[in-house]
Amino acid sequence: MYDNAMTYMKKTMQIVMQFPLWFYFIVSIYPLFWMVSYSLKNNDEIFVTNPFGIPTHFRFENYINAWSQFNIPKYVINSLVVSTVATIGILVLSVMFAYAIARMQWKLRNAARVYMIIGMFIPIQVIMIPLAILVKDFHLTNTYGALIIPYIAFGLPFSALVFYGFMKSIPIELEESACMDGASIYRTFMQIIVPIVRPAVATVAIFQFLAAWNEFLMAYILISEESMKTLPLGLLLFQGQYSTDWGGMGAVMTIASLPMVIVYLLFSEQVERALTVGSAVKG
Amino acid sequence: MRKYFNNKLAIALFALPSLFIYSIVVAYPILQTFYRSFFEWDGLGEADFNGLQNYLMFFKDPLLGTSLKNGFIFAAVLVVFQIGLGTILALVCSDPKVKGRKLLKTGYFIPVVLSVTVVCQLWAAIYDPTNGLINKLFQMVGISYQQNWMTSPYASIIAIAFVNAWQYMGYQFSLLYAGVKSIPEQYLEAATIDGCGKWTAHWKITLPMMVETFKFCFIIAITSGIGAFVQMLIMTSGGPGTSNYTLTYMIYRYAFTESEYGYACAISVMLVIISLLATLIINRAFDREKFSH
Repeated sequence: MYDNAMTYMKKTMQIVMQFPLWFYFIVSIYPLFWMVSYSLKNNDEIFVTNPFGIPTHFRFENYINAWSQFNIPKYVINSLVVSTVATIGILVLSVMFAYAIARMQWKLRNAARVYMIIGMFIPIQVIMIPLAILVKDFHLTNTYGALIIPYIAFGLPFSALVFYGFMKSIPIELEESACMDGASIYRTFMQIIVPIVRPAVATVAIFQFLAAWNEFLMAYILISEESMKTLPLGLLLFQGQYSTDWGGMGAVMTIASLPMVIVYLLFSEQVERALTVGSAVKG
Repeated sequence: MRKYFNNKLAIALFALPSLFIYSIVVAYPILQTFYRSFFEWDGLGEADFNGLQNYLMFFKDPLLGTSLKNGFIFAAVLVVFQIGLGTILALVCSDPKVKGRKLLKTGYFIPVVLSVTVVCQLWAAIYDPTNGLINKLFQMVGISYQQNWMTSPYASIIAIAFVNAWQYMGYQFSLLYAGVKSIPEQYLEAATIDGCGKWTAHWKITLPMMVETFKFCFIIAITSGIGAFVQMLIMTSGGPGTSNYTLTYMIYRYAFTESEYGYACAISVMLVIISLLATLIINRAFDREKFSH
């Protein structure tokens, strides 16, 4: 009897102790649940009859309206193009650069590494003004290049450092034997190094794609033309136009968020690893 | 082998594209910002050298007080919410008896991957005075604390900072959780065997051993608070009036709406100096020596 009561007490204590964890879980998730629910409701239901719960009738027409009446397909394409090209650019350039500073022998390689690392500590606000002028001078305003080139440059320091760390841990014997066998440095790079760093490529790619997909500030300053806007920018427009149609607004926001949430759920370990790598490199 | 890795052409081919693009987009603009901060310049025409005038103007700018105050409030909200609450959650979550840890971590992290525009617009809806979630909740529970969160000059900066704190909580949580997990369990076990309660043991052992993690988390929270901008831009346009201005908002306004590029550059330089000072102070405050017994 007494034993039972004790275990019962312990169990209750455990649940009480875990309460804050689940409470914050609700704080973190419920706003998103609320958003998805109201994207499927009409105003009457959102405002009066059922503000908190699951919609009584799923109004998918909100999604159809949002998709067909506004520029969403265009924004999605712009975001896809910019994020994909920027990610590929970052990967190619940073793997090459990392190899140059990890393995190649040249006088300035440490200086080049430090020079690159500094970029990670510079707040974007310091670059913003001259960059906006530069983009204008090169006649890149309102082109994909206006975003892709800066995104590549901002992504390089972090990615190059991740690959640098990875390459440093590869035993040099592999390359030595390739060299003995008469393979050129390019062939060694393509056929030995690139396949070995593949796990790091996945991590960096997810991280950079996420960053580019969600980037707001540079896009806000460098892109003004409607047809060139990426999703985060395009969404701002709906704020004014949709202020009375909450269901439509919710649908637009859900469409914009879903791809990234799915990417995260599929690759949550890589995403979190990428972030901890980032903190280790920075700290 | 030396000759193999000495291939000048290969070095150039591997290193130069990155160095070139980085120099043009990152390094050159940084130098430009410093250089232009000593000029009166509208971004287009001739620039007039005016020495330290821009910096003198900065210290007399009526927007400076509000901007600094908001930056520090923003940083304080991030520290209290993300690091304070985040640490408690990380400690509770580290208990091996906790079930559903994976689900919890995923739930905390999802807002991090959302676009800042979506998050700001979602919270603008949550704060909406008539139909928003918060006022509706107060109404339901019968508390008459309903208000217009975004137009109150006092509450709005805290409400906005909370949005940022909420979105990036998962990030800070995963750093803190990794910090807690990095401490060998024997230390905690030894303390509890010696008769220490679990929370006393955490207080005396776990937290002091997490100095490096805390240092990093504080630097992130405080520098992003001082540099905050996007949330104000989207949610209140810096208003009502200029009451939600921050240093970055000042830069944005002077550069892109008033074409005072030289002055905006000087503010950028000051922002870097203030952020660096904050980082130095945090480094001092979390000096490892002080925490080792």
